[in-house]
Amino acid sequence: MLDRFRYFMLRALRNMRQWPFLCSASVLTMAVALATVATFFLVVLNVQQMATRWSEDLQVVVYLDQAPSAQQLSSLLREIRGFPEVAEVDHISQQEAMSRFRLRLGEEADLLDGVTADVLPASLEISLASQYRNRAGVARVVERLAERVAADGIRFGQEWLERFDAFVGLLRIVSLVLGGFLLFAALFIVSNTIKLTLYARRDELEIMALVGATSRFIKIPFLLEGAFQGLVGGLLSLAFLSLVFKFFLVQVMRSFWLTPAGIDLTFLDVNQQLMLVAAGVLLGIFGSLASLRKLVQL
Amino acid sequence: MIQLYNVTKTYRKDSSALKDLTLQVGKGEFVYVTGASGAGKTTFLRMLYCAERPTRGQILIDGQNITRIGRHKIPYLRRKIGVVFQDFKLLNSRTVYENVAFALEAQGKKRYEVSKKVYQSLKEVGLEHRLQRTPLELSGGEQQRVAIARALVVDPLILLADEPSGNLDRNVAAEIMALFKRANARGTTVLLATHDHSLYRRFPRRVVTLEDGCLAGDHRPDELQSPVF
Repeated sequence: MLDRFRYFMLRALRNMRQWPFLCSASVLTMAVALATVATFFLVVLNVQQMATRWSEDLQVVVYLDQAPSAQQLSSLLREIRGFPEVAEVDHISQQEAMSRFRLRLGEEADLLDGVTADVLPASLEISLASQYRNRAGVARVVERLAERVAADGIRFGQEWLERFDAFVGLLRIVSLVLGGFLLFAALFIVSNTIKLTLYARRDELEIMALVGATSRFIKIPFLLEGAFQGLVGGLLSLAFLSLVFKFFLVQVMRSFWLTPAGIDLTFLDVNQQLMLVAAGVLLGIFGSLASLRKLVQL
Repeated sequence: MIQLYNVTKTYRKDSSALKDLTLQVGKGEFVYVTGASGAGKTTFLRMLYCAERPTRGQILIDGQNITRIGRHKIPYLRRKIGVVFQDFKLLNSRTVYENVAFALEAQGKKRYEVSKKVYQSLKEVGLEHRLQRTPLELSGGEQQRVAIARALVVDPLILLADEPSGNLDRNVAAEIMALFKRANARGTTVLLATHDHSLYRRFPRRVVTLEDGCLAGDHRPDELQSPVF
């Protein structure tokens, strides 16, 4: 068994040595195809992370009719903290609201001289749990609040939220359509390249069948070859991707409004990197298998 | 060894490559299959090693009906049959040794057995000193001898040759024929397709003639007229 495997490995290596041009063509095609899909994935990944970061700022602000007593406030806060959608509640008193207002006005804070804090309402700033930072989550919190709290108004940036939701939805559709298209194009190109490289060696396949080689005996070295080429293609695409990320992607995304200062872009994590290389191996195996099925006909 | 019963092969509705062919070849026989180009010689040989399936009729090889043989059994049938072609069908990127060894490796033979048998087989055809050459470094006659060595290295029951001397001059063709005769003397059944009349006049054996896919003649050596020898 081990002897057999060794034989297949040696034959696969010998084949690659004997056909360096065909071998390089397969490896490079796989590397380019994988790098294209992976670059797209990396961009989508980072844009999605940006979107997640933006959604962290999502808050519901409740303006209270009247400043509640300490006892009322603590029971209200307790009740709101009990909502499953709520992560944190901050009470902003009238005095605190006034000092924030002053701070925002900066040099023009003098305008507030003679104005008392009573003119501003007290408020509750409610941050949502991460899974509820969307339109539906906000709507549920607002509904619950409307039943329990006497409020002047509840503000949650409806317009912004709608735009944000539309953006995330669009991003998802574009990633799926474009990603699916890229993946299909990559598979098509890789399988055709492998088919052409095998077609150039059809005499070898024919002679093998003629001397009584079984279908498995013919196919295994070619599959090993495909797997090895896929592995090298996967590693090359990873190297290419890290270069693109370092010298191109970071610069391009920084130049857009997408990446505020202080936020680092993410590269693929170890699992994703392993998946990329494994995708190369699978691409090589299945690409070879599909072509061999047509070419090896006993 | 080989039995064909009413074998017909049709590619298109209006023409058949073989029509109702019935023929028996005994174990250890040497048979020439002759006929003009397009008579059906190649189709006949291709059906014997299952490269083609008959449209109708039955084919038995060594007692086994191969007419509807399963795909996975074809390689095992081919291991009993050596095939030699006019265009040699050698792997030009491999050495002479590798080309011959390939037939044994395909059967899963051990390495020491492979090297021993390959050397013997190449010695048989007089090419043991060309082990590490590639086919393109050899003459046409030498390439055909490598192809014969590859066909014989597996000790086949049947040797099929499709115009093996078609591209070779008269003297080289005689050398090749000598190799077939030697294999036949060791008990291998040989079927040799040729349209070269001089071959079977110089080396008289049974001659089966095909004409438009039909059996037009089947003559034993003693029935052939004016042999050279």
